[in-house]
Amino acid sequence: MKKILLKTESLSKSFSSGGVLQHVLKNIDLELYEGDFTVIMGASGAGKSTLLYALSGMDTPTLGRITFGGEVISDYNPDELAVFRRRHCGFVFQQIYLIDGMSLMDNVLAAGLLVNKDRKALAERAGELFRAVNIPEETWHKFPTQISGGEAQRAGIVRGLINSPEILYADEPTGALNSRTGLQVLDTLTEFNRRGQSVVMVTHDMRSARRGNRILYLKDGVILGECSLGAYEHGDVKRHEKLSAFLTEMGW
Amino acid sequence: MRKKYLLIILWILIPFFAEAALLAAFMRTGRTGGGFLQDTVAVNEIARTVEAHWGDLEEPIFQENCPFAYDFTVLDREGNLLWKSAEGLSESINAAISHRDTILDVARDGATVGKVIIHNGSEEDYEARKRNLAMALLLVFLLQAAVLLGYTAWIYYRLIRPFRRLKGFAERVAGGNLDVPLQMDRHNLFGAFTESFDIMRSELRKARLAEAQANAAKKELVAKLSHDIKTPVASIKAASELGLALSDSDRMRDNYTQIIRKADQINTLITDLFTATLEELQQLTVAPTDISSGELALLLENADYLHRSQIPPIPSCLLHADRLRLQQVLDNLFANSYKYAGTEIVVAITREKCCLAVLIEDFGGGVPDQELPLLKEKFRRGSNVGDREGAGLGLFISDYFMREMGGDLIVENGAGGLRVRVMIPLSRA
Amino acid sequence: MGSNLRRSRGQTFSVAVLILLAAAMLNMWLMLAMDYRQNFDRCHDRLHGEHVTLAMDSEPGEVRSFLTDVLEEEPEVTEYYMDDALCMVGNFAYNGGEVNTEFVILEKDAALERPIGRVEIVEEGDGETGVYLPMLYKTGDIAVGRLIELKIGSNTVNYPVSGFFNSVMAGSHNCGMCELLLTRDLYEELEERGYAPKATLLSVRLAHGGSSAEYEADLKSKVSEGFPYSRVISNSYAMVSTSRYISQMICSGIVSAMAFFVLLIALVVIASNIGNHIQENMRNLGALKAVGYTSRQLVLSLLVQFLGISLAAAVLGTGLSYLLFPSINAMMISQTGIPYEMGFLPLPCVLSFGILGTAVALAVWLSSRRIRKIDPILALRQGIETHNFRQNHVPLDKTGLSLNLALALKNTLSGVRQNVTVCVTMLVLSLVVVFSGLMVENMIADIRPFLYMVVGETADSCVNVNVGIEEAFLGEMESEPDVEKIYLYNTVNVRHAEGMDLMAMLCDDFSQVNNQDVCIQGRFPRYDNEVAIAAKYAGEKELEIGEEIRLTVGEREERYIITGFTQISNNLGRDCLLTREGYEKLGELQNLSYYLVLREGADLEDFHERVRQNFAGNVNTTLDIQSIIGGTASVYVSLMKIIVCAVLFLSVIIIAFVLFLLVRTMLGRKKHDYGILKALGFTTGQLIVQTALSFMPAMILSTAAGLVVCSLVINPLVALFLNGIGIVKCTFTVPVGFVAAAGAGLVLLAFGIACLLSLRIRKITPCDLLKGESF
Repeated sequence: MKKILLKTESLSKSFSSGGVLQHVLKNIDLELYEGDFTVIMGASGAGKSTLLYALSGMDTPTLGRITFGGEVISDYNPDELAVFRRRHCGFVFQQIYLIDGMSLMDNVLAAGLLVNKDRKALAERAGELFRAVNIPEETWHKFPTQISGGEAQRAGIVRGLINSPEILYADEPTGALNSRTGLQVLDTLTEFNRRGQSVVMVTHDMRSARRGNRILYLKDGVILGECSLGAYEHGDVKRHEKLSAFLTEMGW
Repeated sequence: MRKKYLLIILWILIPFFAEAALLAAFMRTGRTGGGFLQDTVAVNEIARTVEAHWGDLEEPIFQENCPFAYDFTVLDREGNLLWKSAEGLSESINAAISHRDTILDVARDGATVGKVIIHNGSEEDYEARKRNLAMALLLVFLLQAAVLLGYTAWIYYRLIRPFRRLKGFAERVAGGNLDVPLQMDRHNLFGAFTESFDIMRSELRKARLAEAQANAAKKELVAKLSHDIKTPVASIKAASELGLALSDSDRMRDNYTQIIRKADQINTLITDLFTATLEELQQLTVAPTDISSGELALLLENADYLHRSQIPPIPSCLLHADRLRLQQVLDNLFANSYKYAGTEIVVAITREKCCLAVLIEDFGGGVPDQELPLLKEKFRRGSNVGDREGAGLGLFISDYFMREMGGDLIVENGAGGLRVRVMIPLSRA
Repeated sequence: MGSNLRRSRGQTFSVAVLILLAAAMLNMWLMLAMDYRQNFDRCHDRLHGEHVTLAMDSEPGEVRSFLTDVLEEEPEVTEYYMDDALCMVGNFAYNGGEVNTEFVILEKDAALERPIGRVEIVEEGDGETGVYLPMLYKTGDIAVGRLIELKIGSNTVNYPVSGFFNSVMAGSHNCGMCELLLTRDLYEELEERGYAPKATLLSVRLAHGGSSAEYEADLKSKVSEGFPYSRVISNSYAMVSTSRYISQMICSGIVSAMAFFVLLIALVVIASNIGNHIQENMRNLGALKAVGYTSRQLVLSLLVQFLGISLAAAVLGTGLSYLLFPSINAMMISQTGIPYEMGFLPLPCVLSFGILGTAVALAVWLSSRRIRKIDPILALRQGIETHNFRQNHVPLDKTGLSLNLALALKNTLSGVRQNVTVCVTMLVLSLVVVFSGLMVENMIADIRPFLYMVVGETADSCVNVNVGIEEAFLGEMESEPDVEKIYLYNTVNVRHAEGMDLMAMLCDDFSQVNNQDVCIQGRFPRYDNEVAIAAKYAGEKELEIGEEIRLTVGEREERYIITGFTQISNNLGRDCLLTREGYEKLGELQNLSYYLVLREGADLEDFHERVRQNFAGNVNTTLDIQSIIGGTASVYVSLMKIIVCAVLFLSVIIIAFVLFLLVRTMLGRKKHDYGILKALGFTTGQLIVQTALSFMPAMILSTAAGLVVCSLVINPLVALFLNGIGIVKCTFTVPVGFVAAAGAGLVLLAFGIACLLSLRIRKITPCDLLKGESF
């Protein structure tokens, strides 16, 4: 039995639009396990990102509870949530969201220094991570506008991992990238997951979804189905067919 | 960039300004105070002091207390030297005249008793001034030289050296070696220039690679396009929802919706009443929507108007229920309990797998076990109703409502009385 | 384009407030400068005022015929009038101190009917008999119906106050003489008693008011030639019009300085606003250009917007100035003593609109020049140029700063415009702080430095004795235990042969005087052929130290070497210092004023009484110098208190609005970044501190620099302001502690305000990032 990292009970999220309540997530009961590469799939508007941001403490749910390591984070105030995020969560965004005014290294350290005050150790870890995602040293001090999207997204992953978060949340990490650089990013994520990093990724892209070992299919704010795949192997046809069958069943 | 040029120009100009300032300063000091003009106040002071002390000029007080601005000699009326403040001064009127010294009469009681010769120090002044000027000019020249040297060095490091490097780079590119990047110096003036060179190189390299990957890219293009279309579509959707949400004053709108809803409710209830008596129960519409479990508290409070129960904490979740019908169900259950049991009521709410269970139990003794399955039937009333009026429709309708919502109504005998479990379904797709 | 303003309503608002303040002060300054002073002339005309007033002790007959002869042969004189008066030095309690001046006592009805230099009654009670005072002295203690104790010479009289009047040339102690009106019965009674000698009051109107000072000197010297033993007092239009408007001058100087400073800040703010606008809307502007708008059109639209706001704000500001003016007038009137009727003044209004409009237009035009450089294609494609060489000034892996500080510093370095705005604001405000500190230290907390500068010499007591008993008097004082120091400090009139009448201060030994700062350059005269003259006068006559000047008294003339420049504003910069021997070459002293410094705690009243008794008949006056000064100075002190408060209050408002603007702009610009940082786990508190901190480097540096520079230049600046009253050099001590504390306070206040203003960061949520994306 894998260790449960995060658990939700009847997680619901509603937005009010034009005076009418819109329920984007409905009674989601979900457990995230350590070491998993969880993929949340679904069509546009299914509530994938909303779920991701609720899980990661970026946003508070309208109803329901989220517990993380015995703490009910759904009761946190914004500042407590911020502290929770910096300690336990890493983020990779579709739009990358590096801060343009800071070099890559500074982008990473700005997140890192929030938790760890040991500048030197932190810079070393950042260096290791940069190397791990194949960003050469001369690029570390460039600014986000001076590098390619793929490099930027990999730097984004470094930033997400700098604090050794329990969970790395990735919101369509390849969404803004072309196919080739997207692949590199996916490989990077897969590699970190193989080393034990828990990843939760939202995508509506089959190619990305293949990387997960646990696929959740979200439709209209409800988890419609779940499919367990083994660890990702490149060119594993059976695994691919199982996923295709699952998605077909889900009405993909 | 422009700021940098400004700085350079400033650096070059600084020594010139310094020189000009120095020159101006010398010109100024040349004209006024302390210099070639004699300080008449100081001269007056000497003359008056000599007058005051005439006769006892040798006294030490006179010498010690008067640190005069000028050296001077004192002669008596006959031209004999009475006193001098230093060696090498003019000691006769004639010497004084040839040295252009100042000669003043010393008067006592209206009669001239002697002369004071104030030493003309302009020659020494002039020499000292010349020395100072030379020193200052030398200093400025040195400063200027240093600045120019620094400037040359700067030009070398910032312009000439990068250009040399650029030359080697251009040769490599010309030779077809596109892999070695040009070291870009952020601080150098031609950074942008070298950068463009390097961009040129990398663009060339990219072009080659791109050519090789042309076929593979075609496939990817299709995927990319499909993706690119998805995102804006989603964006448009979200944005328009947001727009709707922000567009109006919610309070007014809510108030009006409330009024309309209540009017509808009354209308529906009356229609339903008619229908119910006509035993057309199938036409009671149940329209479940997603409601927050928090609203249940309000519904319970409304139903339990005698406050016989404590509303327990409600697990927060999203229910799929018809608010109006649920209220009717609860009204009915509480009314029944009031009517038949009249005791305290216990309410407990638990989250079950796919529904929220609201358990309502009283201490009225319940009904005989064999009557339990029949309670929910139409026009059926328990045997222990006594003379209390009723149609026997309540539980039937409630059960119907709950099932229409996708939930259930379970009636059983509990420890102290009748126990009803209202199973409200959770919101699912 | 119009969206610029609508989008940033807050920024527009604060620009408008700054312009409003600037307009209010500008207009107030122009009103003070252009009309308030004119009021004196209007009053002068209304009362058919004289240009030269002269009062001299005498029995009428001989003097009058002499005067008539003198006046008749002078072509400048157009009209003159002589009548009877009683004339004597006197004093009364006023404003916590006492007023000591030359009383010119007139009979009420005669004074009201004088064809020249008429007196008008401003307030009158029912009392049939009593005294009328200049309206300046109307205070709580001095009011119609109350008794007032007047000391005339060394006698005391008590009169009921029956009214107040307005007199242009003799309506305040500032005028050199002060008229009092008595009803006929009292006048006759006083004449009878002989407390004050009979005198002739002469009022002369000249063809050209401008030459009044010269003519006064001329007339006075002729009179003292003819009657060397008569006491003569006089004043001139030039001297009175200046001395009655000193506070108006100071006030309008300060208001004008503040107006220009606020305007400067407003302009910097507008410029930075436009800069941001252009940077943020590069793409839109590019699009507009691409569609076919010319740069001129785009600039024009900005111009119209800002001019519109400015003019609207200016109209309100002008209105505000009219609301504030009455209270300023009330403040001033206690110094000028001349009633002022407020009315709408079109010229200052038009001028302040013009100045504001031009300045704003210029600022907009200069700062929007960048629009011309926008290349539509580039702007559309990129927004901003791609390969900009950004230097990473604060690399997080190397810096030793804390994270918040480092990020704040990055913010600071990324916004040149905000730093410029902060710097300009703080430089201006540090001048204000230093000025306030200077005034608090040298005027409000301890008035002595101010007095030393303005009054010249002060001591505890002044005793005027006849020359005959001098030795006995000095001997007595020598043995008097209460006296710590006694020195001659006598005032006489001499005439500079090539110039004007000068008031000469005589002293045996100037090293004895209390205020050694009187001599601002060179040294005090030491020998009988030396003189020190007022720096202002020397400047006017282009005299240098070391030059020789000729001084005359009557027929006698002597040459003196100038040894130093002095500044005493008693006589508005027409003074000189002479040694006693120096003066005695020119004239005989009839009586001598000795200044005394008494032992701490000595009873001055008692001491004066003793002196008067011991030398009965030979003591002319005894004065309590401190209380005389107190009465005069308290007017200035309260004026300065108000100014300091107003100016500090204004500074706080300005800081608040400038920061409001900067914080708004910054939050607008950094909203995206803040969203990301919040997503990464930065708390609202951290971001607020970062934002506020990012203003601090510029703020601290410019405040520190500003305080240091201002501390160095404030004295010359104040001297410049006070030049009109004869101040050439100012040697106030700058209170380092106060200035440092106020500077620190200013910075802390700014930090607090910035924190408060950036509370809006709370509203930025990481989810704002998601907008424009799917749920």
